[in-house]
Amino acid sequence: MSLERPDTTDDAALERTPDELEELLGDLVVKRDDHLNAPGFVIRPDTVQETLSTLKEQAGYDHLSVVSAQEYENRYESIYHLKKFDDPTQEVSVVVPADKDDPVSESAEPVFRTADWHEREAYDLIGVEYDDHPDLRRILLPETWQGHPLSMDYDKDRPQIATLPEHANPLQEHHKDSESDTMFLNIGPHHPATHGVLHLKTTLDGEQVVDVEPDIGYLHRCEEQMAQAGTYRHQIMPYPDRWDYISAGLLNEWAYARAAEDLAEIEVPEYAQVIRTMGAEMCRIAAHMLALATFALDVNGDFTATFMYAINDRERVQDLLEDLTGQRLMFNYFRLGGVVWDLPEPREEFFSKTRDFLDQLPESVEEYHNLVTSNEIFQMRTIDTGILPPEVAKNYGATGPVARGSGVDYDLRRDDPYGYYDELDWDVVTEDGCDNFSRLLVRMREVEESAKIIEQCVDLLEDWPEEERNIQANVPRTLRPDDDAEIYRAVEAAKGELGIYIRSDGTDKPARFKIRSPCFSNLQTLPEMANGEYIPDVIAALGSLDIVLGEVDR
Amino acid sequence: MGTAPAQLFPEFLAETFGLPGVLGEVVAALIAAAVVGNIVLAFTGVAGPWAKRKITAAFTDRIAVNRVGPFGLLIIPASAVQLLAKELIVPEGVDRPSWDIAPVILPASALLGFSVIPMGRLGPINFHLADPEVGFALVFAFASIASISLVMAGYASNNKYSLLGGLRAVAQNLAYEIPLIVTAMSVVLFAGTLQMSGIVGAQTTTLVTIAGIDIPAWYAFVNPFAFVLFLTANMAEIGRNPFDIPEAPTEIVAGYQTEYSSAYFVLFYLGEFVHIFLGGAILAVTFLGGASGPGPESIGFIWFVVKIWGFFLFTQWARSALPRVRIDQLIEIGWKGMLVLSFANLVLTAVIVGVIA
Repeated sequence: MSLERPDTTDDAALERTPDELEELLGDLVVKRDDHLNAPGFVIRPDTVQETLSTLKEQAGYDHLSVVSAQEYENRYESIYHLKKFDDPTQEVSVVVPADKDDPVSESAEPVFRTADWHEREAYDLIGVEYDDHPDLRRILLPETWQGHPLSMDYDKDRPQIATLPEHANPLQEHHKDSESDTMFLNIGPHHPATHGVLHLKTTLDGEQVVDVEPDIGYLHRCEEQMAQAGTYRHQIMPYPDRWDYISAGLLNEWAYARAAEDLAEIEVPEYAQVIRTMGAEMCRIAAHMLALATFALDVNGDFTATFMYAINDRERVQDLLEDLTGQRLMFNYFRLGGVVWDLPEPREEFFSKTRDFLDQLPESVEEYHNLVTSNEIFQMRTIDTGILPPEVAKNYGATGPVARGSGVDYDLRRDDPYGYYDELDWDVVTEDGCDNFSRLLVRMREVEESAKIIEQCVDLLEDWPEEERNIQANVPRTLRPDDDAEIYRAVEAAKGELGIYIRSDGTDKPARFKIRSPCFSNLQTLPEMANGEYIPDVIAALGSLDIVLGEVDR
Repeated sequence: MGTAPAQLFPEFLAETFGLPGVLGEVVAALIAAAVVGNIVLAFTGVAGPWAKRKITAAFTDRIAVNRVGPFGLLIIPASAVQLLAKELIVPEGVDRPSWDIAPVILPASALLGFSVIPMGRLGPINFHLADPEVGFALVFAFASIASISLVMAGYASNNKYSLLGGLRAVAQNLAYEIPLIVTAMSVVLFAGTLQMSGIVGAQTTTLVTIAGIDIPAWYAFVNPFAFVLFLTANMAEIGRNPFDIPEAPTEIVAGYQTEYSSAYFVLFYLGEFVHIFLGGAILAVTFLGGASGPGPESIGFIWFVVKIWGFFLFTQWARSALPRVRIDQLIEIGWKGMLVLSFANLVLTAVIVGVIA
């Protein structure tokens, strides 16, 4: 049932007012608890599946962005942030309170497969238990961890005395029978192709993969907790750079900036929006170049020329970003209400450098097409491998190039406009192949679209009158959003929908700061792509997902 | 066939130093073998730590080693010391002694192959150790011993990645050895002999003369189709890109050699490079006229070296540019494609040779 195609009759695509939705849900709604971004309906913890499937099948809310859980003085709460893939501005939040002493609520996994990992994370960090969940285990912390770190009674001084038991061989439990001869193989956490510290528990039948289970959390750095300990105005902004650290820093910063600005009702000057847009697209090019480079490593083997060529091109964007922000990796360039400083002086030099890069880019892209995508062995390796059908992608909440490579036409820059994107002329790239090749192609074509955006931004910035170059809005020194204001806002980061949920408690620090990482959801699709394929295809599929463990684990 | 039988290297030594009798022959043979072996090892010594880095760097827009000595050449001793000084880690549960024997077999098998390769003349010396009547068959036999080493290493390492690498090596060698040898047989049909000197000798005649330039009857020119087939099968046989599947670092870490370190690793590394050079040598002898080339016969050795280094360059080029095929695709290409083509080539050659002769 989880793979069923959502009903996309006109009735479902119709935009409904919050009151109509309340009417649709009827008795399921206990009360209203609207968020700044969406109407919110409080429901009973045992009606989660019923409510979500009503919203999914009858109202067309087919995208479960994220599940954010938190603990209040008197209750636990899980929020299911729903959207539509066709129109992400139509949002609805389903709020599920759970008992303080016995925090159990029904799992949404049978309705949205993506809830699997999100609920495991909520269980792991906050301690909400989900009934009917297929596999409620810890996901980020070690399985022997004591307590739930984001819950209120968590004693952080208590030493974690329980040690990991000797690694159990899952072969003995699941896969061994007289009929088949399978082999259990640990791929990672240290393996040339895991792009960081990722552990794939793989079961092989010969060279073919019977089962693969990603084991994450090796790079968990308590980013959410750290953000909760920082003030809105200045102390949170440096953290986003450290999520997707593959030079996508500005895109991440924008996610926080967008959420916090909407929460505190800050208007960003247009000039700053153009700079933001330009910087963000530079980051996207850098990130996609690295994705191409490492994918070539995965498919071609090490020492491939493609890797060095792509790194070379990335280096040129990196130089531009360094000129703009003063940093190469941890930019910390955005501020609430704008950016930290104007373009580097002399401006003409920066513009001409940027234009030089843009002029040379088509030639590079052409070279990659010659080297990579038009190579017959490469096509043999990547076309029709790692298949991710669009319905499965949606069900897992896959976004970004992964979803667009499966033909899901979903890009927040266009569908839920922010920054200066809706003023510019560019296209959303999709491919219908649903395979490793399509995902790579989407990224390569997106580089060209980003270049188009940057070019238009440069034109705009060049002609911007000097007296109107306002880089920052007037923002109070200390921000204290209204008590109990809640917001979920997302931007299109390099890997997909990067969203932030913030709940304010009237102080200058967020009471709950939840990060919706696109890589986290995208990685969840790996078993769907990998099962039944050969080991090399699993490696290629993993490469084509382009995950960054810093963002998966946060 | 062809030219008068040249004096072999051991005979030359025995004669020059006046070593009499059977004992003299043995001593001369050992010395000659040591000389040839060291020449080959010197190639790999240059190729592994230095040339490979420089070539790959050139292909990938980098500079590579340039700090240690002129052109970074002193990296060769530096790497040797570094590799040999490392700790030899013996994992728990490895199957000894096969774990220890495997890294010896690989370079040994490749070096053995050079015993029958006619490497050409340099001045009075003819670098050719032995010229048995079945030398051509022998060289393939030696080269394929390598698979045993890979399986032993993969199986004895008590590591799943190694095991996968070992299994892949067997599957790959089975799939490519047959097309390789069947294609080589078509050359035997042309030459009418299995003797190495005969095969080389048959290629010294002139095929055609175009604009005053003599095109020699190298089998690469006589039968380009067989040449391409042989080259492809050869790449798979020595496990180079796009057929480096038994190692495939991004998939199975390092395949059969995952658990090897220090001197054992050096032996494997060495073995692989000797194998590349042996592959180049077989290719040169079979299709590129062995040591023949412009100029007097006494510089033939130089031409031979140029040819095998050319082949080495080709493998490195492929490594920088080509994606790796998947194991099932490789087997498919081998059994369904190459095998059929190689037999077609053999039959065609047989018919042509039969009609002409």
